[in-house]
Amino acid sequence: MNEPALSAHGVRKSYPSGDRRIEVLRGIDLAVEAGTSVSIRGESGSGKSTLLHLLAGLDAPDAGTLHWGGSPDTGPARRADFLGMVFQSFYLIPELDAHANVLMARRIQGGIGPAARARAKDLLARVGLSERGHHLPTQLSGGERQRVAVARALMNSPRLLLADEPTGNLDEGSGDAVIDLLLGLCRETGTALVLVTHNAAYARKTGRQFLLREGQLHEVLDSQPPVTG
Amino acid sequence: MPWFIYLALKQLFPSGKRFPFFTVISVFGVALGVMVLIVTTSVMGGFHYGIEQMIVNSQGQVQVKSATQIVDYPAVVRQVEKVPGVVAASPYAYSSVMVQYQGRPVYPFLTGIDPGSIEKVANLRKYMVIGSIDDLDDDSVIVGSALAESLGVTVGDTIEIYSPLIIQKLEHDELFLPRSVHVVGIIEFGHQQLDTSNVYCTLRLAQDLYGLQSNVHGLYVRLQDGLNEDEGAKRINAVLPENIRAYSWEDSWSDFLWVLGLEKSMIFFMLFIIVIVAAFSVTSSLLISVIRKTREIGLLGALGASPRQVAACFCIQGLFIGVLGTAVGLGLGFGALAIRNDVVMGIARATERAEVLQRFYQFSQLPAHTSESDVVLTIVLTIVVSTLAGLLPAWRAARLKPVEALRNE
Repeated sequence: MNEPALSAHGVRKSYPSGDRRIEVLRGIDLAVEAGTSVSIRGESGSGKSTLLHLLAGLDAPDAGTLHWGGSPDTGPARRADFLGMVFQSFYLIPELDAHANVLMARRIQGGIGPAARARAKDLLARVGLSERGHHLPTQLSGGERQRVAVARALMNSPRLLLADEPTGNLDEGSGDAVIDLLLGLCRETGTALVLVTHNAAYARKTGRQFLLREGQLHEVLDSQPPVTG
Repeated sequence: MPWFIYLALKQLFPSGKRFPFFTVISVFGVALGVMVLIVTTSVMGGFHYGIEQMIVNSQGQVQVKSATQIVDYPAVVRQVEKVPGVVAASPYAYSSVMVQYQGRPVYPFLTGIDPGSIEKVANLRKYMVIGSIDDLDDDSVIVGSALAESLGVTVGDTIEIYSPLIIQKLEHDELFLPRSVHVVGIIEFGHQQLDTSNVYCTLRLAQDLYGLQSNVHGLYVRLQDGLNEDEGAKRINAVLPENIRAYSWEDSWSDFLWVLGLEKSMIFFMLFIIVIVAAFSVTSSLLISVIRKTREIGLLGALGASPRQVAACFCIQGLFIGVLGTAVGLGLGFGALAIRNDVVMGIARATERAEVLQRFYQFSQLPAHTSESDVVLTIVLTIVVSTLAGLLPAWRAARLKPVEALRNE
């Protein structure tokens, strides 16, 4: 039996605020199978980014367990192999051109060769930037930068892709293109996708939709009326 | 190439048309310090080397001395010359005298040398400015240039030498007349102390004046090239009796050399402050870079970089700046040394003081002698300090938690 790409059980997280603690996440249970996608919506400050950082292993939960592909190892070395991330602000390295930015994921994983260079080039072609590989981030539009970030996230063939408001800084046209690209590539490569978004239309494009409210995830079924987030 | 080295290089030298101001300014600061250090230590080394050559050429590399006198010196010379590594030994007698010319007295040291063997151990001929050492006999002397100038004597003049024995003789109601000798040469070492206080005569004349009979005060010794002076002195001491000891020229001039060394060390460390200031500027620039790149550091963590690798990325930038600054500084330093004489003479000519400069320093050219140890010390210290300059920013970068850095959005 295949383990889910991501499984979280009873994940809790609180932050100190003065002399008390604010409980942001109150027992999150989530499982995402390979090749499937889920979206998480919620109001601002509901804890979406906190949850995503916990799922990425960048922060430790107060309680609960997190497994990637059935393993509790979520350290930096495994992160480079298993996980890809896309952020609202792209986070491209300004000193590197688009091709080098995509390759950076593989460099951190442990060195590059001709095959990695070819894959980076191929990924850039698949996100429609085959002619922009030698352009610096400042020479690219917002939508193009996010597509470079998507290519970088997929560079190491991750089994899990976490996207944190990837369309937050894009216009509608570019946002649509990036979401379609993410979903298409994940379907094609069998990568599990967790998409955090405010946009209900984008959320509906994923296989399962969740709403984060009062520290807990509530699944939104298609028969339910649209939820505003 | 590990990613942190690659990224460090890319951050120092970004792709495209962006001019790396931070890198150029940081490298130039370090290079300036290295250049000043190389020029200063080389010029100081040049003076030091000139003095070493002057001492060795006038007194040999090792001196054999006795607390009183060396009796039967030919036997001691034979004994010393048998020591492995010794080329030759030559006897000398040495004491202070009173010299008078036209009623003006001065009190130099009179050194009696053996004209037959002195050239095997010393190269006095090199420093003769008027006359020849071949003209030296038992009725003549060679006078230091500054002393000759202060007395107003030149070759052919007659001066009177009053021996210290005059006082001893007077105690026994005996009369010991001063010795009249001709000046047959003027010698100039280019060292104030030697040129103002040295007179050379034959060993026989000095033995007469000091009442030594056939004894001498010591031997000058020349060693084979490449043999360390201290080692040579040690070997000679092994065959000499306890009351006769060998001293390397560095031992004999230890106080003077200590002062020279102290002067050089003090100047080195004071000028090294330039490198330290440049290193502070590197620290400051890298710290700003860490703050500016907080989100990128968070991203690197999200991509799987460890805190240690992130720290290495910034530390290596300090190292690269140090290596590059040192290389550029060495180039500038040796370039400046190559044109030093043109610069100095240009300044001297512009201020119409060219002759004063030559007379004061006794050098027609500014000396420079770059020692390997000075260059190695400069390189190592500069690179270490520059690398240390990257430690604080590196530590700060490593402490940034990816989740907090990303939240900086």
